[in-house]
Amino acid sequence: MVNYGGDEVAALVLDIGTATVRAGYSGDDTPKAIIPTCYGYTESPGDADVTMGDGEPQPEGELAPPKPKITMHVGNNGPSVWRHGMEVAYPVKNGLIEDFAAIPKLISHAFRDVMGCNPAEHPVFVTEPAWNTAANRERMAEIMFEEFDVPAFYIANTGVLNAFAAGKGSALVIDIGRSTASVTPVVDGFVLRKGLTHSALPQLIEANAHHILTNPAPNRPGIQLLPHQLIASKMPVDVGMPPSFTLREDRARGTTETWRGWYESREVEDWIQSVGGVLDQGWNDQAAVTRGARHHEFPTGYNYYFGSERFAIGEQFFAHSAALAAKNQNLPLPLPALISNALSACDQDLRQVLVGNIVLTGGGSLFSGLSDRLGTELGRNFPHVKIHAPGNPTERRYGAWLGGSILASLGTFHQLWISKEEWQEHGKAIVGQRCK
Amino acid sequence: MAGPSAADVRSILSLGPSTPSQTQTPLTRKPSMRKPEGMTRELYALLGPSTPTLATQFAKPRLKQKPKLGSNGVDKDAQEAVAGPSSSGGGRVRWEWREFKNGARTDGLKLKHWVNAATDPNAEYPPAKYNIQPNVYVYSLDEYTRWLSVDKEWTKEETDYLFELVREYDGRFYVVGDRYEFPNGPQRSLEDLKDRYYSVCRKLIRNRPWAGDEASKNQLLSSFQFDKEREVTRKKYVASLESRTPEQIAEEEALYIELKRLEQTERRFKKDRDELLRTLYGVESGLPDIISDEDGLNPSAGGGLSISVSGSGLSLDTKKRKKNGGDLETPMSASSASASVIQLGPPGQKKQQPAKNAAFDALQCIVRSEVPANSNKSSHIPVFFRTLKTPIPRSAVASKVAQLMGELQICHTRLVMPTRENNAKLESLLEAASSLVETKKLVDKVELDIRVARERLGMVSENGGESGGWEESNVAGRSASAGAEGSGAGGAMDVDEDAEGEQEEGVDASGRGQSVASVRSAGRKKQQARRSMSISSVDTAATGGPHKKRKR
Repeated sequence: MVNYGGDEVAALVLDIGTATVRAGYSGDDTPKAIIPTCYGYTESPGDADVTMGDGEPQPEGELAPPKPKITMHVGNNGPSVWRHGMEVAYPVKNGLIEDFAAIPKLISHAFRDVMGCNPAEHPVFVTEPAWNTAANRERMAEIMFEEFDVPAFYIANTGVLNAFAAGKGSALVIDIGRSTASVTPVVDGFVLRKGLTHSALPQLIEANAHHILTNPAPNRPGIQLLPHQLIASKMPVDVGMPPSFTLREDRARGTTETWRGWYESREVEDWIQSVGGVLDQGWNDQAAVTRGARHHEFPTGYNYYFGSERFAIGEQFFAHSAALAAKNQNLPLPLPALISNALSACDQDLRQVLVGNIVLTGGGSLFSGLSDRLGTELGRNFPHVKIHAPGNPTERRYGAWLGGSILASLGTFHQLWISKEEWQEHGKAIVGQRCK
Repeated sequence: MAGPSAADVRSILSLGPSTPSQTQTPLTRKPSMRKPEGMTRELYALLGPSTPTLATQFAKPRLKQKPKLGSNGVDKDAQEAVAGPSSSGGGRVRWEWREFKNGARTDGLKLKHWVNAATDPNAEYPPAKYNIQPNVYVYSLDEYTRWLSVDKEWTKEETDYLFELVREYDGRFYVVGDRYEFPNGPQRSLEDLKDRYYSVCRKLIRNRPWAGDEASKNQLLSSFQFDKEREVTRKKYVASLESRTPEQIAEEEALYIELKRLEQTERRFKKDRDELLRTLYGVESGLPDIISDEDGLNPSAGGGLSISVSGSGLSLDTKKRKKNGGDLETPMSASSASASVIQLGPPGQKKQQPAKNAAFDALQCIVRSEVPANSNKSSHIPVFFRTLKTPIPRSAVASKVAQLMGELQICHTRLVMPTRENNAKLESLLEAASSLVETKKLVDKVELDIRVARERLGMVSENGGESGGWEESNVAGRSASAGAEGSGAGGAMDVDEDAEGEQEEGVDASGRGQSVASVRSAGRKKQQARRSMSISSVDTAATGGPHKKRKR
């Protein structure tokens, strides 16, 4: 039992990201519940359609006036199901929780509905981004203790947990998520806050991909990003031919702008994930052409072989095009700038250690060729670069959850839990003291 | 009615029942060997009677044994009934979901985990022993005012804050330096923090009463040693090392290589100089490890040695010349002779040995090839068979030369005795032959030109000079063959006179003619007549017809 220092206390690990909420038991290798963080809500004057088993209505909807009854639709059947007049809201922005009203509902859905467990019986381990505010983490502790009545609580940094998931105490964690790319220097399990850098790079890439897809290119028209929920029927068409489909007219009226936006973003994300790539030796027009095109079909039935466009997307991780940089001065920093900023803020003696222990993680890092390219870019400036990038996509996407699962099942960790007793005795200050 | 059985046939042939065992034994054995269970009848039939051992090994298949979980009485009995009494007994562990008290915690949090039911519920939680508090010095207010307030840059509050952080982060100064934010305090670098912390610790150790001996105290003191200036300088060096541009790095590397090269050159110069001194003065030079001469030649007189060597070299030269029939001056012999003289030029080059007994070599037909002074891989000549060095004619004229050699009945591709001299001779012969062929080609060309010019002239003057042209060309052809026979210069001159536009080539041809002449004089006089006759049959295609005519 103690051979590997592990001691299971059946803790629950909760990792709230911009795209998904991950929850599961500590000691597992994959989260049990993975649900989207965004949620849909409908306003109805009378009886709400209680499909998700959510009895309690949320009286304090921040977007809508409080008078009508608001029904929240969370989980995998939440925003992805078309509902008349359903709006979609995002409680987490740039990795930080901004709308705490929806969080208890999401957590409850993950724990109670998906995992089928009672959080009052388990210690709960929560993750936070390195740039989380003290108020935010205290609010989280409050939700856990007051609303879920957990016996013990701990909140840890995603950067540290990603390093732990890679089996490293000191590492330079490059985490590319859905909304934010961050570079976190971790030394002996502590984040060096001065070296922490992050930027909204993935959002820029998504916006750019959206732009590329919807605007006509020389050899293809602009693509309509129509949700399949709005398409009644479609016919298969040849590659590059205009799609032939019929829309569901009955749904056209009840479709909201936010839902359309959510769907388009998802479609763009799908496209990026399936065709996007990075050239491993820097941008080169010939190389981009010779690497071959990839096929992608959209819900309308339109399909096309995407050639160098798919590499233009990935290239933005490393450099912004001159045209874009000229238009906008406040572009998010690309990866090399983030890394060099992070390293220059660290001590000289640490730099070599960090560069030799780079951990590449996050779902956004699954771009094919990204780790090779990163190695090439860093190899120009540092003699010994070693990048740890898990080949398993689950480990890459849920690295922080996995690290939390490992940490929460260690015997020596159990002294760090903030117990309910301590919470009641010390109040919010205990969170900052214990979770360094 | 059934047909005749085997027994009937046997009785007819009066063979007798010779093979009853073959047919009857399986029948008799079969009932005794029962078909093992779990094997289909068809499979068993395939096995036949010949593999009885397999049947005995074929144990009755059983289900996989149940894992022995739980130790309730009912289960136990049931399992024993299945597995037999021998497998019952120990190995059954009861686990229970039990609350535990973590000794490392200050509060009463009771978490639950799975634990062996046999363990003591009040035992200490095993991982709690890893909860070690770091040994951080603390000081009282009195101690601070007496010893530690010397440094005016640090207030007591800030020092307290520093010590608190060091305690909190277990002495990880990188983290301490990262989190250090003393309100209204000056900006502190990592070195400042370390310096302050270690100096306070040293002062406390030095001034507090010490129970142990002086050595252990000094050891402890040295473990808290910190030289801020040195650390800052070191970091500056590291920073400057990191901030080098690629050009600077390349320059540094180039300088390093240059330095290495210079060192190497210097070493070689020194070695050469020592060799020279040794050669000139021998033991008197005072240099160590003088090699005593093996041949008994007196090394003490260095100058005398070199003279005698040069003398022998010259004698070899003359000898060779005599041996070669006086007038043969092949490039090989010339180079070898000159080499033996040149060997004496740089005396430091360990070339004494071959030069010294050159006379002996000449007697024994030993040829020593020159080894370059700075022998590297590319210029190194490994041991080879001289047959491999048999000269071959230039590819452009190879076929013609081969034809020529065939006419001479000389097999130039293989030498019976490929000595150095023979090789050299063959090479010169081939060279002569090829130049002869080239001369012939040239002559033919010039002849053709002349003819064309004549015809043109004739056309202009309406002289009908066709016959004249023929005559002239014959003259030229004859002169060319004459050139091959020895009066090459004259022949070439004829050509020259005739074709004004071809002066340069004519001169060239005359030069070749001479070399051909020297080949002939190299000692093949008996074949001279035949060759002079047949040489002309080595035709160039353009003027093939008339020449053959002329020859006959």
